[in-house]
Amino acid sequence: MEILVCVKKVPDTADAEVVLRPDGKGIKEDDLAFGINEWDNYAVEEAIRIKEAHGGRVTVATIGASDSEDVLRRCLAMGADEAVMIDDAPFKGSDPYGIARGLRGAVTKGSYDLVFTGAQAGDDGFAMVGPVLAGYLGWSHATLVTSIAVEGTKVAVTRELEGGLEEMLRLEMPAVLTIQTGINEPRYVSIMGIRKVRSKEIPVVDLATVGLAAGEVGANANLLRELALAVPPAGKEAEMIKGTPAEIARKILDIVKERGGVA
Amino acid sequence: MAKVFIVVEHRQGAIRDATFELVTLARELEQRYGLEPVAVVIGHRVRPIAATLAKYLPETIVVDSEALENFRYETYAAVLKDILEKETPLVTVCPQSAFGMELYPRLSVETGRPCATDCVKVEMDCLNLVVVRSIYNGKINSRLVFGSSGGYLITVRAGSYAPAAEGETAGTIRDYPCPAFGSPFRTEFLGYREAASGAVDISQAPFLLSIGRGIKDVENIRKVEELAERMGAVLSCSRPVVDKKWLGKERQVGTSGRTVKPKVYLAMGISGAFQHLAGIKGSGVFIAVNRDPKAPIFRAADYGVVEDMFKIIDALKEKLGS
Repeated sequence: MEILVCVKKVPDTADAEVVLRPDGKGIKEDDLAFGINEWDNYAVEEAIRIKEAHGGRVTVATIGASDSEDVLRRCLAMGADEAVMIDDAPFKGSDPYGIARGLRGAVTKGSYDLVFTGAQAGDDGFAMVGPVLAGYLGWSHATLVTSIAVEGTKVAVTRELEGGLEEMLRLEMPAVLTIQTGINEPRYVSIMGIRKVRSKEIPVVDLATVGLAAGEVGANANLLRELALAVPPAGKEAEMIKGTPAEIARKILDIVKERGGVA
Repeated sequence: MAKVFIVVEHRQGAIRDATFELVTLARELEQRYGLEPVAVVIGHRVRPIAATLAKYLPETIVVDSEALENFRYETYAAVLKDILEKETPLVTVCPQSAFGMELYPRLSVETGRPCATDCVKVEMDCLNLVVVRSIYNGKINSRLVFGSSGGYLITVRAGSYAPAAEGETAGTIRDYPCPAFGSPFRTEFLGYREAASGAVDISQAPFLLSIGRGIKDVENIRKVEELAERMGAVLSCSRPVVDKKWLGKERQVGTSGRTVKPKVYLAMGISGAFQHLAGIKGSGVFIAVNRDPKAPIFRAADYGVVEDMFKIIDALKEKLGS
């Protein structure tokens, strides 16, 4: 089983304050912690588990620059066999179609049975690269995948629907699967583990290597052009309860009692 | 006249709620820009669904075939490609859901029409289609314009538009033949299964104490279990807690978990992703505790507390006594 996992380094904005740059064309990144996209981490773990059960190899790919190397090394420490970096300079400002074109080149250079991406990315959240890539390749795809069982030349998956429901599908390989969080419990990566892969070579490939010409990707090739970023309007705000923790606790208990809780 | 098509989402015989939000969007595009709204119903034995849509919109197109019994992107994309090429709508919308996420990016490649996913607003600026997307965990809005194309595909985030009230329209229903499928299918639908089953039914609890990413460590679960018991609350949670397997899927509140309507919802350490907030619409009173004063949850809650959740937990326990 040959598996390619596409990963991306993103800022953690779930628990951080996000501030626009003065030019309004991006966010201030200095105070944000960056790491592997949460969904991608599950995808890497899933690929390694399949390799451990069925044999084969796991390759991780990113479109990035030297600052993404730590993310790839982390994947190698988890158990990926190879890592490849597609130089992101020509991809600056690319929409999901541009990213998928770049990854298509990485896929067709190998002979993969499965390609994994995260179900979405924590920054722009398009959730498009996986199924668009499958479309470019003419492969089957499934999104929001919550379990995978390899069955010969086919793969049985479940997809997460709404309301606690899942659907079960069987796909012919090769296939692109986009991985939902919670599909597994990603393994812990130790400092020692990362040290062990520190000297592993990570090839950096250019646009021509992935079969593209300048102008086929990047902001000028986009089907979607960003006009402006803005902080969303405040809208309705909660009534803030202030005071010491004890005072706040008192007030919370009063509200609970008054509104039909039982405390 | 230019048209806006709504791809109707339905499952196991029922129309999904998000479709009625898209009716509101389509009507807005009709009023503001003169687009003519049309519903597209694809499936098998879907006449009743088409009849419902005909109460809301002037025209409904139905493609009914045994081959379309259960949704698969392969069959739906083939049908929609045929429809879009013949009917040439300017905009075709569907919900950003497990359905839309599986179908639309692929349909975009198959038809060559550009797609913008997970939009919270759709507008026109002169002849250009402009969308707004909510990014970076709801903390930034991105305004995007499409490059020029004969038609556009858009998926819309649930809750972005109010659901349309039941209409009095006597719309027409037009049968559309199911196109012949060329190549053999590479995907097979096997069935549905329930992912969240357990002894607890959080949807019935009058008082939910709900925890999120802020719980930080599995060791802390015991603390909130204790508090829930003392307060007489049932413990629920947001997605990250279930992803880490710290609580069972049956306790997850949100789009992919359970929809709840308790009298009291007390959220601790939950930032307020829209998927979570969609699961608590219509709750009685909603109190949120979070350290980040800019957390989106404070835009949805009735009462907010900016404080470390563990300090509040300890203070609550103290007030309640042993």
